[in-house]
Amino acid sequence: MTFEEAAAELEQIVARLERGDAGVDELTKLWERGEELYRICAEKLEGVQGKIEELARSTQTDDQSG
Amino acid sequence: MEVEGRKVYSVRAFNSGVARYLNKLPTLWIEGEVTELRRQQRWASVFFTLKDPEDGACLPVQMPRGQFDALDLNLAEGERVHVFGRVELYEQRGELRLKALTIERFGLGAHLAALEQLKKKLAAEGLFAADKKRALPRYPRLIGLVTGNDAAAKKDVVTHIVQRFPPANILVAETYVQGHRAPASIATAIADLCRRGADVIVLARGGGSFEDLLPFSDERVVRAVATCAVPIVSAVGHEQDTPLCDLAADVRASTPTAAARLVVPDIVELRERLARARAGLHRGARNAAQRHVQRLDQTHERLRRAPLLALERKRARLDTLHGKLGTLSPTATLERGYAIVRRADEVVRNASQVSTGDPISVRVAEGTFGATVE
Repeated sequence: MTFEEAAAELEQIVARLERGDAGVDELTKLWERGEELYRICAEKLEGVQGKIEELARSTQTDDQSG
Repeated sequence: MEVEGRKVYSVRAFNSGVARYLNKLPTLWIEGEVTELRRQQRWASVFFTLKDPEDGACLPVQMPRGQFDALDLNLAEGERVHVFGRVELYEQRGELRLKALTIERFGLGAHLAALEQLKKKLAAEGLFAADKKRALPRYPRLIGLVTGNDAAAKKDVVTHIVQRFPPANILVAETYVQGHRAPASIATAIADLCRRGADVIVLARGGGSFEDLLPFSDERVVRAVATCAVPIVSAVGHEQDTPLCDLAADVRASTPTAAARLVVPDIVELRERLARARAGLHRGARNAAQRHVQRLDQTHERLRRAPLLALERKRARLDTLHGKLGTLSPTATLERGYAIVRRADEVVRNASQVSTGDPISVRVAEGTFGATVE
């Protein structure tokens, strides 16, 4: 699942919960699924951010050595 | 005289015969370049050689010094003139030469008129059309340079190119840059550099007299420039000169130095631009990631609240229904002393529903009791 897919499904779930047309029995399931999607997105983002910072650090090192 | 049955002429007699014969030829105008001009105070005549600018054919010319000086032409080597004269034989040496009666400088005016005519013709063919101009490559792989073999222009261009962009590759084609051999040699050099893989060509020559720069207005050179397979920069003469090759080139540089600026990027600027681009790349990536994080945080917050909100809304709806239920219930009526009579769970609305001895239940405001029909 890509970040975009997970984020899109998460948005859908939140919108549905906010509209209030979900059945009571569904509420818990939707919420759990939403949290799961949030975790997937957050992990992916953290990974990307980490890589960007790492790259920025390594190119700065290039400049100092070269 | 007659020697052993053969008619023989003395050299003198032969020469004077030829001289007489030549004297019958008409007086003509001849155009050429003045070379080897020899004028000395003690000589009765002035001598020079008239040279054909196209193929170098020569004709010795002689003119009485008095007449030559009277013209006050102040002729320089290589100047193009029209000589009005008659051919004669210098009998003493058996040499043919032109006896000049008058000389006219083939002036700037005549040159300009000829150039103007050529310019119109080539323009009509579309050689100078603006839509034919190509952009120079931003990072040339191989720069072809056409220039004179010892020209300061060559050093100028090469030095400035290498200064601006040290990794530049330059292929130099040395040619004649003035005189009658120049046009063909320049045209050949341009084609040759294209063949050898140059992706931009600089045609460079320093300043010079109008005549010096004439080869760069020669039809052969102009056509070679116009049909050059790769973009070509004309850097001929100074700002005020406009040889026709300038019009046919893709770009005109006012000096060889300016040409260098046109064909290669400045490496310092290039490095700065790269550094800026890289900084922008990092910033952009960071910002994009940051925006995603914020948006996700907001969505997460909404997700956290949404189920409770949804439940609250459902409870509220339930309360409303419950309230409505209250207003519809019979409790209030019972409070006023009415009772609900049921027989076997059926509400009794008509006396015919019951018979004597039937057990019934009676519901009042506070509680229910049983009874028997009498």
